Amino acid sequence: MSTHGHFAEKFKDILLGRAFHMSLIIFVLLAFLYFSGGTSIILSILIQVAVFSIITMSLNLEAGYTGIPQFGRVAAVIAGAFAVGAIPGRIMAFFMSLPYGAEYASDTVNVKLVPQINAVLAGSWLLSLGFLLMCIVIAGAAGALVGWLISRPAIRLKEAYLGISMLAIGDFLMWVGHNWNIIVGGSVPVYVPDPFRIFGAARFNVIVPAFFLIAIIIFIYLNRLVKSPLGRNFRMLRDNELSASAAGLDIVKVRTQSLVIGACIAAIGGGLYVIYTGSVAAIGMTRLTFTFWPWAYMMLGAIGSNVGVFLGVFLLTILRTMIIIYRSQWFGFLQAAGIDPLWLEYTLLGAVIIIVILFLPYGLVPEKVRPMLPANRVKKVISQKQMQT
Amino acid sequence: MKNMLVAENVTKTFDGLVAVNRVNIVVKENTFTMLIGPNGCGKTTLINCCTGILKPTSGRVLFEDIDITGWKPHEIYRVGFVRSFQIPLPFIGLTVIDNVLGAMRNPGEAPFKAPLLKKWAHVEEENMSRAMDILARVGLEKHWDLPSSALGAAQLKMLEVAKGLSSGAKLIALDEPIGGVDPASAHEILSHVSRLKEEGLTFLVVEHRIDIAAPFADYIYAMELGTLISEGPPDKVLNDPKVIEVYLGKEVEAC
Ligand SMILES: Nc1ncnc2c1ncn2[C@@H]1O[C@H](COP(=O)(O)OP(=O)(O)O)[C@@H](O)[C@H]1O
Ligand SMILES: [Mg+2]
Repeated sequence: MSTHGHFAEKFKDILLGRAFHMSLIIFVLLAFLYFSGGTSIILSILIQVAVFSIITMSLNLEAGYTGIPQFGRVAAVIAGAFAVGAIPGRIMAFFMSLPYGAEYASDTVNVKLVPQINAVLAGSWLLSLGFLLMCIVIAGAAGALVGWLISRPAIRLKEAYLGISMLAIGDFLMWVGHNWNIIVGGSVPVYVPDPFRIFGAARFNVIVPAFFLIAIIIFIYLNRLVKSPLGRNFRMLRDNELSASAAGLDIVKVRTQSLVIGACIAAIGGGLYVIYTGSVAAIGMTRLTFTFWPWAYMMLGAIGSNVGVFLGVFLLTILRTMIIIYRSQWFGFLQAAGIDPLWLEYTLLGAVIIIVILFLPYGLVPEKVRPMLPANRVKKVISQKQMQT
Repeated sequence: MKNMLVAENVTKTFDGLVAVNRVNIVVKENTFTMLIGPNGCGKTTLINCCTGILKPTSGRVLFEDIDITGWKPHEIYRVGFVRSFQIPLPFIGLTVIDNVLGAMRNPGEAPFKAPLLKKWAHVEEENMSRAMDILARVGLEKHWDLPSSALGAAQLKMLEVAKGLSSGAKLIALDEPIGGVDPASAHEILSHVSRLKEEGLTFLVVEHRIDIAAPFADYIYAMELGTLISEGPPDKVLNDPKVIEVYLGKEVEAC
């Protein structure tokens, strides 16, 4: 027992060390960006970190903990983004006796409507807060619905086929939004009323802590969820479906639970994202940004550990931002060779995935195999047992 | 003694290959019933048909007089019939004790109660205490907190048995519980099983190494090429010329 405990301690030290080194790198890069680009870059990175932590934690629930090949993360994100683009503004318009039907999303009308709604929101912090909460609830509900719909083919499909169908559903939703004007304006972005308008120029300074607070609440919620008998069921499904069903689990039900909760959270991430950007452009809801990058964040951080997810999101968001900002400056020479630096983002994505698979198959902070109950309660039960014998 | 499990004329074909052909077996309550036969004769397929992993092509399966033909595995689990797999399928991302706990039910499996420790912790503590007893019965109590991926072959077989026990099942089907295990461990595993039988459980054990397993059995069914060729108490079946010819004969040849 003592050697085992000793080993566990050592193991923990190494893990902490890694997380610590990661944090150092993140800090240095942030400092560099701050001195070269100023506060606005830092704020934009922090907001993205909060949003993508939420999205990637939801992916981690489904893919990391439940073993679902979720290659359509973007679908639930779109559900949240479209819902926030389409519904809360209309509700406001309805109460303000403004047009709220199909014409709400038409470009000529929308551009005049939303500033009026914003003016009302900016006049009351209570209304602004209520509007923000309404957006979150609507996004979550839309996500849960889409998650449930996606779980229907999941009854029959497995692994690769399921992954491909989810990938297709994500693209499908994007194109529906792009071509069906009345949802979020089709090819012309619809504006989203801004619950942070009341803070004026300090808008971003407030969004950062607000989004981080939401991300932390979701982090705590998910950590409790995965450390529960339900979380154990998710892992059982991931480790072996056949064995899980022989242990009494209705695997369709468990998979649906994971997909619905995950989609609900991802959609909240999508909703927050469009509140931050202030508009919904359907065509911008790409699988690169909202499926593939979250996969890379998760794989680097750790499949099955949300602390790892946070580190992965943070580091890669910084690198991504640096590439986007500096690609023409630093990599201009590529243009001469006929390579568009636009491709550097894809290159980074590919490089990260390859490096992780080769050198860090369990990610930076691997999942710890521990009982679901908190350690002190486990200890109590076990020591009682040992007293008996 | 009442019948726990009855398979009536169970047939299973795979694209024309008749893996199980009109097989009838009865497992009586509180017995160690064995199913023997050479590799590929259809033993696993028969167990799969009885436990819902596969749907029989024809025939019926009754558990305690309830027709369970074509039920899903988790539904069959609920009425008290569980099985282990020939190749152990542990939940490798869970500790040994969580592998056992996973087969027990808890209010914390419901999405709205799961995040609230208060709603499920006391049940989990009771389950954990029971899981420790079960692990002690199969000799794994010292390893309760190891990742199940750290167990050896014989221990994994016992973990499969423990998973079966934890559900509170009345009938446990074990598919080759001693396959690939050294004779000493095999004997230990079977002793654990027969002690559990003394406590009132019923076992249907598929075994291919009858020399080790037969001494524990109350009743034996012998299969060959998908059909039953003999049944009865061990001394009768093991001395049946048909069994000796198709089964033991081949073993001797193989040596
Ligand atoms: N899923 C399957 N698809 C096709 N053939 C199968 C399948 N499962 C088993 N078989 C075939 O059925 C026969 C019986 O196999 P099995 O029940 O595994 O035998 P045993 O457990 O007695 O060794 C074998 O010929 C095997 O190849
Ligand atoms: Mg077999």
